Order: sequence, then C-alpha cells, then structure tokens
Amino acid sequence: MPIDLTDAVMTAVKIAIVLGAMLNITPIMVWVERRGSALMQDRVGPNRIGPLGLLQSIADALKFILKEDVVPAQAHRVLYTMAPLFGLIPALTTIAVVPFGRAFVIPDTLTYDSGLAFGLFGAIMLMLLLAAGTAAATVKFRTRPAATRLNVVVGWIVTVSLVGVALVLLAALLAMKSAGSVHIPGAGHLFEPIVADVNIGLLLVFALASMSVYGLATAGWASSNKYSLLGGIRASAQMISYELALTLSTVGALMAAGSLRLVDVVARQTGYFVLFDTVKIPAWNCLPMFLGFVVFVVSAFAETNRTPFDFAEADAELVAGYHTEYSSMKFAMFFMSEYMAMGTMSALIVTLFLGGWDIPYYHEPATFFGFLFSAVAFLVKISIMMFVFVWVRWTIPRLKYDILMRIGWKVFLPLALINVVVVALLIAAGWV
Amino acid sequence: MIPTNYFLILSAILFSIGVLGVLTRKNGITIFMSIELMVNAVNLTFIAYARQYHSLHGLIFVFFVMAIAAAEAAVGLAIFIRLFHHRETIDVDEANLMHW
Amino acid sequence: MFELSIFFVFAATAIVFALVVILHRNPVVSALALVACFFSLAVMYILLEAPFLAALQVIVYTGAIMVLFLFVIMLLNLQHQHEALTRPVQQFLGWMAGATFCLSLIFYLLQAAAPVMVSGAYDTSARAIGFKLFESYILPFEAVSILLLAAIVGALVLSARGSTTVKGDTEQAR
Repeated sequence: MPIDLTDAVMTAVKIAIVLGAMLNITPIMVWVERRGSALMQDRVGPNRIGPLGLLQSIADALKFILKEDVVPAQAHRVLYTMAPLFGLIPALTTIAVVPFGRAFVIPDTLTYDSGLAFGLFGAIMLMLLLAAGTAAATVKFRTRPAATRLNVVVGWIVTVSLVGVALVLLAALLAMKSAGSVHIPGAGHLFEPIVADVNIGLLLVFALASMSVYGLATAGWASSNKYSLLGGIRASAQMISYELALTLSTVGALMAAGSLRLVDVVARQTGYFVLFDTVKIPAWNCLPMFLGFVVFVVSAFAETNRTPFDFAEADAELVAGYHTEYSSMKFAMFFMSEYMAMGTMSALIVTLFLGGWDIPYYHEPATFFGFLFSAVAFLVKISIMMFVFVWVRWTIPRLKYDILMRIGWKVFLPLALINVVVVALLIAAGWV
Repeated sequence: MIPTNYFLILSAILFSIGVLGVLTRKNGITIFMSIELMVNAVNLTFIAYARQYHSLHGLIFVFFVMAIAAAEAAVGLAIFIRLFHHRETIDVDEANLMHW
Repeated sequence: MFELSIFFVFAATAIVFALVVILHRNPVVSALALVACFFSLAVMYILLEAPFLAALQVIVYTGAIMVLFLFVIMLLNLQHQHEALTRPVQQFLGWMAGATFCLSLIFYLLQAAAPVMVSGAYDTSARAIGFKLFESYILPFEAVSILLLAAIVGALVLSARGSTTVKGDTEQAR
C-alpha cells in the first residue's frame, strides 16, 4: 500500500487543525461557563486576570498543574492512573469523522497582495493590544496581597508570549514583498476538511463514544471509595440508557441521506425545501425531523453528563461522583474530556440537524474562501450550540434520578422510534 | 493483503486461551469471559473466510452471533447474581446443588 | 508491509490481553483486558475489509456486553473472592490439554493448503449487509429479536430481588 506524501501531509494538517480546536475548547468554555453563569445570575464573575477575565482559564490550568497529585492508599494504582485517559481518548477521537467545511481544490499558486498584508498588520496590532492590556492588568495587581502572586506570573507569561507571536507575524510581514505569488505544494489535490472520511461514519462516532463509559466506571471503582463507585455506576448507567435514544434519533437523518457518511448527510442539507412553489427554506434536517432533533439534543445533555442530568457529579447532593478522589491534573483531564465531549456533541448536532457547514441562501464556491466561509459558519453554529449547553445548565434545575431513567426509556426511546416512522413516511411521500 | 491463514492461526490461539480459561479457572465470571473470548475467536474465523470467499454470509453470521452473545450475557450474568445472593460466592464449585 | 505490521502489533495485543483475562486474579482487570482484546479484534475486522462489523464489535461487545460484566463485578464486589488452589492434578491436566489443543490446531491449519482467494469486488458496506439481512435472512433476524426479548424478560425475572420468587428459591433464606 503506497502512501502518497501529499495525502499524508494533508491528513497531518487536518489532524492538527481538529486537535488544536478540540484542545482549546476547554479553556474557552470554562471562561464562557463562568462568565455566562455570572451573567445569568446577575454577578460579575471572574474578571481579575486579563481583560474581562479572559485569562482565568490559564491561571486555572496552572493551578491544576501545581497541585499535589494525591492517590488514595487503597486505590488500584494502575487503573486509577489510566482512568482519566480512558475518558480522554474517545473525547479526542470522535470528532475525526465530522466534516468541518466545504471541500476545495488546492490552487496552483497563492497570490498575496495588500489585503493579506493588511490582515497580518491587523493581527499584529491586536496581539500587541492584548499584550498591553494584560501587562497593564498585571501591573495593577502588583499592589494586591500575596494571594494574587500567581496571577501576576500568569499575566507576564501571557504578555511575553503574545509579544512573541506579534514578532513572528511581523517577521512574516517583512519577508513578504508587497505583491507576488508562491507556488503551493500539493496543488490540484482536493482538500476535504474531514480527518477520516470512512463509509461507516456515524457508527464510528457511537463506537468510540461508547468507550467513554469505561473512563467513568474504572475511575469510580479504582478509587476504592463507595461514593466514587456509586457515582461511576450511576453515570455509566445513565450514559448507556441515553445512548439508545441518541443513536435511534439519528436514524432519520441517515435515512434521508441514504448513507452513514456525515459528508453525505451535510450534502443533503445544502439544498432547499420550496414551499408553495415560492418560499425557499434551507433543507436542514431539524425541520422535517424536529422530533429527532429534540430527542438528540436532550440525550446529548444526558450523554455529556450536563445539568439537568448531571448525576455523575451532583455536587450538592451526591458527593461528587466518580471523580471524588481525583485531584490535580487527573481531575483536570476529566474536566477537559467533559468539555470536549460537549464540543463533539455540538458538532454532531450541527452536522446532523443544523446543516453542518452550510450557509443558507449562499452557494459556497469550491475555493479556499468558500472553505473558509463554510468553516466559519460551522464554528458559529457550534458556538451557538455550546452556549445553549451553558444556558440550559444555569437555567434548569437538576432532575431526580428515577425521572431521568423514566424519561430516557419511556419517553425518548418511543419518540425516537416515532421519528423514524415519520421520516420514512416523508421520504415515501417524496417530501424529504 | 494479509493471508487468511494468519487470521486463522490468531483465532486458533485465542480460542485455545478461552478453552484454557474455562478448564482452569473456578471464578464463574472469568469462565464466562473465557466463553466470550472463544465466541470472538470464532467470529474472527467467520470474517476471515468471508473475505476469502467474498461471501457476505459469514458477516451475517457474526451479526447473529453478536446478538445471541448479548442475550447470553444478560441471562448468564443474571444467573450469577442469583448464585451470589444464595451463596455469597461465584465459585462454580459451590454451585453443586444439582450435583450428586 | 504497513498492513502486516498493524496486524502483528494488534495480534500481539489481542493474545497478551487474552492471557491477562484468564491469568489475572482480579476480575475487574480481567474484564478490562477483555475489552482491550475485543478492541484489537475490531482492528482485525477492519484489516479484513469489514469496517461495519468492526464498529458493531465495538458498540455491542465493548460498549454493551462488557459494561454489563463490569457492572456485575463491581456491584457484587467480586475482587475479594479468592480462588483456592484445589485439585492440582486436574489443573495441570487442563493446562496440558489446552496447550495440546492449541498446538494441534495450529499444526493442522499449517498443514492444510491455503485455499485460493476469490478475486473481484467485495462489498461489505452497511447497505449490502442490510439487503442480505432483510432479504435472505429475514426469518432468523425476527427469531433473534424474539430471543432478545425473551432474554430481557429472563434477566429481569432472575435478577429481581425479593419481589419475584423462582421455584426452588425457598431452600435458602436470604
């Protein structure tokens, strides 16, 4: 099996893009979560580190790294250490089959002109502005008590790194002539913005997602703490129960696309439904499959252990669940995988029901800019979904566990089945 | 293209490990897991031969085997829970009520 | 070459984890090792051009069946069960019989002439399998669904505590 070098490089680039995005979800979402909850509860929220408290997540990460890593004496050491990894791997890998933009043909040459130079200049200015802001905020904190010393260190680290990025961009700007063009290696290849375009697409997502149960169950058991064990089993039972409704509610979208590949699912949604021969509305799956859409979104909340279904870590009532005994970076890894799972679920909701990277009433060209626009549209949709996750968490109170199980099995499972029948009828009628 | 024989030998080794588990262990759950291992070894053989003869029948059989393994696991584990409630152990030597 | 190296790596993991399953004294570790073994087998299915079944393997075996095993082991707290080493002769005979079985199986597999690989297209997509399943195999398919229903009812009746009494249950009071 010969390996094409260009393909390998392109795949590496795609993995870098997706992985970078996934790893940055956690710090961004922590900030959104904390500021968002503050907004909803009429508080101020973290506003000390960086402008608007934007660098709070970095300080949090540093705190996690510097904390002592405690392993309980009775714990099963090997499994206790490996459990966070079990949780992290599915969270990082499932995104591989989701297309994040329109495919485009790599052009022969990259022509750059004043526009690109202007963009680079703007980026440099922005970096310097952020650096100045951080530095100013940090200097202000110098006069505070010693408790904020860590914040000062973080502030300077961020300032220096921002200035560094600005310098690199400046070097690129200077190296660039005012106008010209560069030959691009790999020209003529089709760049498909999806890491693994396998023909079992969505099944792979569910296969990998079903592995995340082991992270919770193993963590709970290996801590050798009754509360952890019960928390782990509670969380796994919940995830397994809702996996059924989650899987069944996607069947409609797959039936309409006639394929398991998410690329086909998105391609089907780029068209339009024409109402009364005049009104054109985007053919997004959430309209004909509204029932499936609702079931999927609610099951996604349960699957990611978010309020109103966060029995895994109902901090006020049930101790903290499976990660009671965890501290330091191991705890941070559970935290990260929760937010990554949230990102993956948002990406799946957008891809399956909200048209993926499609921009309504606009036909993206198969060029780099078409890709860029579609990728930005995809990101915007995901961000809105993520905000919905935060919004719901701080709006709806936690349910009772028996209610959770009851609605999972007795309401959502039948609803998902009804959705399949409805979509089948719609397809038979030729409306979808 | 990897020769079919490689897969068959791997399957034979896994099946024998399953046999060994059933023969030498007395923990009921471990014996049950060894049986699952043997079932999976057979599945591997089915799929290897399906590719050999380009026939989907082997794959369909694996599908059915998986469904039946799920049913078997549910009932089998329920039996073990029952046994544990009676005897406080799942050692299969202890389940000797019908033994003469 | 690339495929072959993947095969050997995952064949080795499958065998090592299978050995952990039968040798380790802690059932939780055994169950997790079996999960790893099944995962390696899913890789084998992909090498055998059956990605649909690989996904099913992971969803059904590791995502459902093994979780059930793990639940039972964890909830019954089985890791404190110690196996007394009784009947050493039978143990030894068991090991010998297993090893002989394995070696003879491999020996005869090597003896047999490798059959010729059929050439041509080999479509293992979900669509092809689905057509086969719902056309030729519709009756077994329905039979399996009834079997699964029976298994659900059976498991519930067996594991329900107190509320239901199975015949012969009165022998030992809980």
